Amino acid sequence: MQVFKAFFKIIVKNLGQILIYIVVFLSVTVALTKLNNTADYTGFTETKVNIAFINNDEDSWLVEGLRNQLLKHTNIISVDDDTRKLQDALFFREVEYIVRIPHGFAEKFLNKEDVTIEKTTIPNSSREIYIDMLINKYLNTAKAYISYSDGLSGETILSQIEKDLAQETKVSMAFPTDNITLIEQRAFFFNYLAYALFAVLILGVSSVMMVFGKPDLKRRNLCSPLRQREMNFQLIIGNVSFAVITWLLLSITGFFLFGSYMLSLNGLLFMLNSLLFTFAALSISFLIGNVVKTQNAMHAVTNVVALGTSFISGVFVPQDLLSESVLRIGSFTPTYWYVVNNNTIANLVNFSTEKLVSIFGNMLIMSGFTAAIISITLVITKQRRTSN
Amino acid sequence: MVLRNYFYRLKCIVRDRHSMFWTLMFPLLLATMFHMAFLNLSNGLNFSQIKIAIVDIDEYRNNTGFVSAIEAVSNTDENQKSDALFNLKYTTLEEARKLLDDDKIEGYIICDSEIKLTVKETGINETIIKSFLDYYLQTSSTIGTIAGVNPEAVNKGLIETLSDKADYLKEIAYGKSEPDSTVVFFYSLIAMTCFYGSFWGLKEVTALQADLSYEGARLSVAPVHKMKMFISSFLAAFTVELIEVFLLISYLKFILNVSFGGELLYILLACITGTFTGVTYGTFIASVVKGGEGIKIGILIGTSMTMSFLAGLMYEKMTYS
Repeated sequence: MQVFKAFFKIIVKNLGQILIYIVVFLSVTVALTKLNNTADYTGFTETKVNIAFINNDEDSWLVEGLRNQLLKHTNIISVDDDTRKLQDALFFREVEYIVRIPHGFAEKFLNKEDVTIEKTTIPNSSREIYIDMLINKYLNTAKAYISYSDGLSGETILSQIEKDLAQETKVSMAFPTDNITLIEQRAFFFNYLAYALFAVLILGVSSVMMVFGKPDLKRRNLCSPLRQREMNFQLIIGNVSFAVITWLLLSITGFFLFGSYMLSLNGLLFMLNSLLFTFAALSISFLIGNVVKTQNAMHAVTNVVALGTSFISGVFVPQDLLSESVLRIGSFTPTYWYVVNNNTIANLVNFSTEKLVSIFGNMLIMSGFTAAIISITLVITKQRRTSN
Repeated sequence: MVLRNYFYRLKCIVRDRHSMFWTLMFPLLLATMFHMAFLNLSNGLNFSQIKIAIVDIDEYRNNTGFVSAIEAVSNTDENQKSDALFNLKYTTLEEARKLLDDDKIEGYIICDSEIKLTVKETGINETIIKSFLDYYLQTSSTIGTIAGVNPEAVNKGLIETLSDKADYLKEIAYGKSEPDSTVVFFYSLIAMTCFYGSFWGLKEVTALQADLSYEGARLSVAPVHKMKMFISSFLAAFTVELIEVFLLISYLKFILNVSFGGELLYILLACITGTFTGVTYGTFIASVVKGGEGIKIGILIGTSMTMSFLAGLMYEKMTYS
C-alpha cells in the first residue's frame, strides 16, 4: 500500500491550509448555534417587527393608545429623533418602520379633520403592510367611537378600543413543529458544510493529484514494479477514504450541536444527503486535481469553485431570496440539489411518500453528477495518456 | 532612471498572472457572486399575495359578513384584484391540509362556530393573516358595543365607517434612494481590493531588498539612489492597483448597477487613499516581518481579511453601532 501511504503523507504536508477551512467552519457554526439560542417555543407566535415611534404631537390618550397597541404587536426600538440616525437605523434594519405622529394630530383627528401619520419604511414590504394594518385598525376603531358615541370621555373610549382590539383568532399549528431557531440552525449547519467540505476536498485531492501528475514522477512511477491498475486502485481508495474522513469529521460536529436529533430519521437523512454530496464534491475535486498544474492555480480554483457554487446555490443566502435565474444556473451544480434537500429535511415532519420521493430524487441527481464528472475525468486522463 | 524603472516594474507586475488573479479577477468574481446572491434580496422582502384556503362549509357561507369581508381583500378564481392581500381558494378540509403540507398555501381558515386559523410555521405572512382575522372579530365587537349604546348608529353608517378602512398613513422618504443595505458588502469589497494592493507592495520591496531576492541584490549594487528606485517601484505598484480598483468600481457601477448614491466622487477619493494605504501596508510588512514570502503573504491575507471583516465584508451590521 505504498501509494495509499504516500497519499496521506502528502495530505499531512498540506494539513495547514486544509485545517484553516475546518477551523473556520467549526467556529462559525458552533458560535452561531451556541450564541443564537433564543427562547424555546413551539406554538404559533406573532412575528414582531422592530419599529421606531416618534411623537411630535402633545401627549394625548389617542396617541398613547396607539403606542400601547403597537407595543403589544411590535418591538418599539428607541432611536433618537435625528434624520441621520433614523436613516442609519432603517438602512441597517435596526428598525423596519418609522412612525411619526405630526404635531396637532390628535386634536385634528378628534375634530374629524383629515389627518395622516408619517411613515418611513422599506417600500412594498410585507412588514410595511402589516404595520399599516395595525395602525389603521386602531385609528378606524377610534374614529367609529368618536363619531357614534357622543359624550364619551377619552378614557372610556380608549378602554373600549382596548377591549375590542384584545379579540384574537385562535391559531393552531397543522403539524407538531420544532423550535424554529433549531430548524434554521440545522439547515444552516448542513448548508454551510457544503462550502467547507468542498474547499477541503479540492485542496486535499488536488494537492495529491498534482504531485502524482508531475511528469518526471509519473514516469518514475510507471517503471516501478507496481502494476498500473494496482496504483490507480490505491489512489482511488486514498481519495475516497480522505473524503469520508473529512465528511465524518465535519458531520460528527452535528452530533455535538444537535445531540440525539442526529439519530432521528431527519438526522439520518441529513447524513445520507451530505455523504452523497461528499462524493459529488470528490468527483469535482478529482477533475480539478487532474487539470490543475500549480499550487497557485489550485488556490484560485478552490476559492472560485467552492465559493462560487455556494453563492449561487443558496448556501450563504437562502434559496428563497435568490432570483429565479441565479437558481437556474445554480441547478447545474450538485450543491443546489444538496441545499434543496437540506431545507426540505430540516422542515420535514410529515414523512409522506411524495416528500421522500422528491428527496431521494434529488439525491439521485447528485449521484448523477458524481457519475458524469468521473466519466469526464476518465476521458480527459485517457486522452492525455494516449497523446503523450 | 526613475521612469525606466517605473515602466519595467509595470511590466513585471502585469505579467505576474498569479497576483493579477487575486487583485483583479478575484474581486470581480466576488462582486459578481455578491450581485447574484443579492439580486433578489430586496425583492424577497417584497409583499406578494398570501395564499390561503378556506374550508368551504355551510357555516362559512352563512356568515355573510365574514364572506364579504374576506372576499373584499382577496383574489379568487372569479375575482382578480391587483392590490389584494390574499389569494383565496375554497377547498375541503383534507385538500387544505394537503395544500398546507406541500407549502402551496400559508394557512387555512375554518369558520364554524368561530373562526380558526391553521398554519404550518410562524412568520410575517401568517401574522398578517391572523391580524386580518383579528380585525374582523374586533370590528364585530366594536359594532356590538356602539350599537348597544347608540342603536341609531347602525342606520347612520357605522358599518360603512368601519368597513371603509381609511388609510391614515403617508410615506415620507428620508434619502434620495431606497435603503439598500447590500451596498455595504460592495463597499467592503472595494476596501478589500484596495488592501490587496499590499501584494504589490510586498512584491516591490522583495524585488528591491538585497536580502530578499537576487533581483534586489543586483539592484543594490547599481549606482542609483535607493529612494529613486523605491519611489518608482512604489508608483508602479500604486498605478496598477489603482487601475484595478477603478476597473472594479466601473464594473460595479456600470455592469452590475450597484447604486452608490450620489457620492461617487468621494468614493473615488477614498479609493485613491485606500490604495495608497494598501500598497504601503504591503511594503511595511515586507520590510518589517522577517521570514519567507509565504509567511508574509499569510500575514497580509490574515490581517487584511480581519480588517475587511471589521469593515463588514461578512456581516453588514458591523459598522453600525
